Amino acid sequence: MITVKNLYHSYTNDQAYAVKGISFEISKGEVFGFLGPSGAGKSTTQGILTGLLPLQKGDVEVAGYDMHHRKRDMFNKIGVSFEQSNVYNKLSAIENLEFYKKLFDVNTVDPMKLLELVGLDKVAHKKAGTFSKGMKHRLTFVRSMLNNPELWFLDEPTTGLDPAIARQIIEIVKQKKAEGTTVFLTTHNMNIADELCDRVAFIIDGDIKLIDSPRNLKLQFGEKLVVVDHIVNDQKIQDKFSLINKEDLDKLNTIIQTGRIEMMHTKEATLEEIFIKVTGRGLE
Amino acid sequence: MRKFLAVISRDIKSGTRDWLIIYLSVAALLIALILRALIPGVSNSAMNVVFVEGTDSNLIAHVESHATVGVVSDEAALRERILRMDDVLGVLVEGEQYKIIKQGNEVMPMEETLKFVLNTYKGQSIDLPIQVAFSDIGWEISPLKLEGGSLLIIFTTVFGGMLIVLNLVEEKMSNTLSAINVSPISRTVFILGKGALGFTIPIIGSIGSVLILGFAGINYGMFIISVICIALISIIIGFSIGVVNNEPISAIASMKMVFLPVLASIFGAMFLADKWHFILYWSPFYWAYDSIHAILLNEATWQQVLVNCGIIIGLTGLVFLALRKRIAHGLR
Ligand SMILES: Nc1ncnc2c1ncn2[C@@H]1O[C@H](COP(=O)(O)OP(=O)(O)OP(=O)(O)O)[C@@H](O)[C@H]1O
Ligand SMILES: [Mg+2]
Repeated sequence: MITVKNLYHSYTNDQAYAVKGISFEISKGEVFGFLGPSGAGKSTTQGILTGLLPLQKGDVEVAGYDMHHRKRDMFNKIGVSFEQSNVYNKLSAIENLEFYKKLFDVNTVDPMKLLELVGLDKVAHKKAGTFSKGMKHRLTFVRSMLNNPELWFLDEPTTGLDPAIARQIIEIVKQKKAEGTTVFLTTHNMNIADELCDRVAFIIDGDIKLIDSPRNLKLQFGEKLVVVDHIVNDQKIQDKFSLINKEDLDKLNTIIQTGRIEMMHTKEATLEEIFIKVTGRGLE
Repeated sequence: MRKFLAVISRDIKSGTRDWLIIYLSVAALLIALILRALIPGVSNSAMNVVFVEGTDSNLIAHVESHATVGVVSDEAALRERILRMDDVLGVLVEGEQYKIIKQGNEVMPMEETLKFVLNTYKGQSIDLPIQVAFSDIGWEISPLKLEGGSLLIIFTTVFGGMLIVLNLVEEKMSNTLSAINVSPISRTVFILGKGALGFTIPIIGSIGSVLILGFAGINYGMFIISVICIALISIIIGFSIGVVNNEPISAIASMKMVFLPVLASIFGAMFLADKWHFILYWSPFYWAYDSIHAILLNEATWQQVLVNCGIIIGLTGLVFLALRKRIAHGLR
């Protein structure tokens, strides 16, 4: 569905690349997570893939279209949801969708159904300008679903949303994934990536450090930990012990035999911890 | 076509919810109404006809049943009477012919009606071909109406340009332009759609102004072509301002900078002696004024109108070449 070879991009048209020769492929039906800290080049890459930024150097093919020769009709197959919501404030929610719907040459989804999907049906006839940030974000999100896209670009789909709404959005993406939609997901939320993605790419400073499935990454880099809340000298403390480290195991044994344990559970390494381990950098 | 209409109807829908845009759309008509109130001697819509003493009294009686009839002593008095501000038509009988004397700014239907009334009188003797000759004795318009009208019509196009600015700034401000750029509408169709109101509003506004001011007898073909040409340059300027400003206040501030050359070249054309006009030749609005002025006077020829349009389009082309990069870049 997407092939990227040696992609470079400079905003200043010089050697100061925001994206430095990245390559990857996404196959049909795959949910691909593009993970990295702020300024890593995620939005830049998505901008090139969606044609919002010019393709300067490298080869990019999206949904069968060579991005060196962009064609507008490729967007009949593609949906793009933006990190920052962008809707017409003077139009109502439903008018926003109805306008956008008319721009497609393919079958589209009933706008009212989409509004229902994200709980905006009750305010369908209210001007988007009166909406809260989260409501506008949901409107922007469902707008990208109007043409039932085969390929769906989601830039930070849950950032800044309250947990219930974020959950709603995740469930919708899961549903689309089950229907076979290919998703390019940009985020710095590792939990969401872990839950949704078939494969993730770690990108830092315009460079992809590695690409693999969350499961493989955990098998490869994750070590099982035991987290213990125990009381020492009337003070509650928390310790983490690796189950493969001899020293750690001995310490754990001592606590189990002598200490006062309040709580104990095993914990898998999170994608975030792996990210830090692989790249040596945090996500914020 | 469907996408083109979608863009236009979105702009209209959005525009009707914005007071500034509503105001810009009707501003020309409002100003026309004010101008009209300031112009003395508002014409009377009933038909007024004058004859010279000694005209066939049966004819006078016949016409009197359709119009208000006056009788003056001689032809000179008749011509003098017609030149006054109100709409009066004169009839001279020369042998078998009727000669309708008019000032030129009378409402068209009135002249037609008079012809008809005269014909029905003549028509009693069926054999005689009906001949009505015309003689124009000049187009006498108050300068306020003429100059105010010309200025107003050119400004309707600037209003159209401002409308485009506001609509584009809206797209920039909300970044909906990015959403448009990832939809299957071609950039050309989008630009045409965005520009359409910039033509429609000036055409409606200027025709409305012309009617309100009572210039109804002008050549509408010439008029509309000229308005479209002038609108073109206002629209291009509108696009170039609209795409680089992200908020309406700064956009309007830049738009005001456009008013300056417009006003300068029109006032220059009004007040400078002809031999100095060459210093205004750079301004498309000078040529626009030249055309509109002549059209309102009913003195324009197709040649003049087309040459002026050519010059305007040429100058617009230069402006466009200079601004093209800026527009294309801003639409990204
Ligand atoms: N319009 C621009 N002009 C110049 N430089 C830019 C522009 N947009 C982004 N950059 C730079 O390019 C680099 C990559 O930015 P990008 O927006 O792709 O990061 P990101 O991974 O999407 O970050 P975030 O998580 O904050 O969205 C950054 O160093 C940024 O400063
Ligand atoms: Mg980003």
